[in-house]
Amino acid sequence: MRLLLVDDEEEFVATLAERLSLRGIVADWVTSAKGAEKMIETRHYDLALLDVKMPRVGGRELKKIIEKKLPGIKTIYLTGHGSAEDYQAGSAEAEYYLMKPINISDLIEKINDALGK
Amino acid sequence: MSNIIDPLGEAGLAFYSKVSASISHEIKNSLAVLNESAGYLEDVTLMAKKGMKVDMERLQSLAGTMLKQVQRSNFIVNNMNRLAHSLDDPASQVDLNVLLELMINLSERTTVTRGFKVSVAFFDTALTITTHPFFLKNLIWLILDFAMNITDDAKKIELLPAKLESGAKISFTGLGKLTESTFKDFLSEPVLRILSLLNCTLQPDDGKGIITLNLPEKITQPSQ
Repeated sequence: MRLLLVDDEEEFVATLAERLSLRGIVADWVTSAKGAEKMIETRHYDLALLDVKMPRVGGRELKKIIEKKLPGIKTIYLTGHGSAEDYQAGSAEAEYYLMKPINISDLIEKINDALGK
Repeated sequence: MSNIIDPLGEAGLAFYSKVSASISHEIKNSLAVLNESAGYLEDVTLMAKKGMKVDMERLQSLAGTMLKQVQRSNFIVNNMNRLAHSLDDPASQVDLNVLLELMINLSERTTVTRGFKVSVAFFDTALTITTHPFFLKNLIWLILDFAMNITDDAKKIELLPAKLESGAKISFTGLGKLTESTFKDFLSEPVLRILSLLNCTLQPDDGKGIITLNLPEKITQPSQ
């Protein structure tokens, strides 16, 4: 399984990818929707972990872009934002909608669940 | 609800709520970085206990990251504190350079998320006026929000504070889609109430894409 992590907080997303890798999960990371679009041109991903609020193109818009290229990809949203509106929309669209900061064991459980493992 | 709450109070609460939501988002992001950094430390400690080699360079960089995030959170909380204290006194002396710097910091997450670059060309010297600091910030927030809907494609807004013979002005530039009609729509009841409270005027120049906020040296009717 290969994951794509997209979050504009570089230190967060890079360290999270490193921690997932220590647990045997391959995760590439980028800090923008533009970067994500480049990554999916050359690689297949099983799941995308997307920050909802990012400059210019947010996670919800990016999900649609990724799904056109990789139909069937699973998505988990991440956010530091707690509006009820975002939560409702996000929960309906993605497999899971998680609030930062996250617990890595919970995240891995959700990843496995989303991928049916 | 608007029948119960005064429009001025409602505008103030809406402004304060939006800034609070944006700030809590920023703090959450900072906490998320700290959480992953601490988690990584825990991971490598467990690995070291099992005899695996620890990358000392990585640990040093992680410590730097954590210190940086503490400073970032402190900066965010200080800005929030400065906004909170702007309700302490209905009329106090403010330096517009300082006030605009705070407003840029408070609105940064909102403007950047919407793809805008907002900057200030600070005045060479202090631009001190006596005003209601909270409602001036509220008004600047409302103008910025309006400005983001009427900029040209460059999506750049520059704020130019300057001295007037009696008072000061702040020009909001880069508003290529400003028209008489859009400006009229902007002048809602809360905006008009704040303008009146601050004894100030808003002057559009749709030919140049500029809105200028003219502020008196001292407000005459502080709110109660």
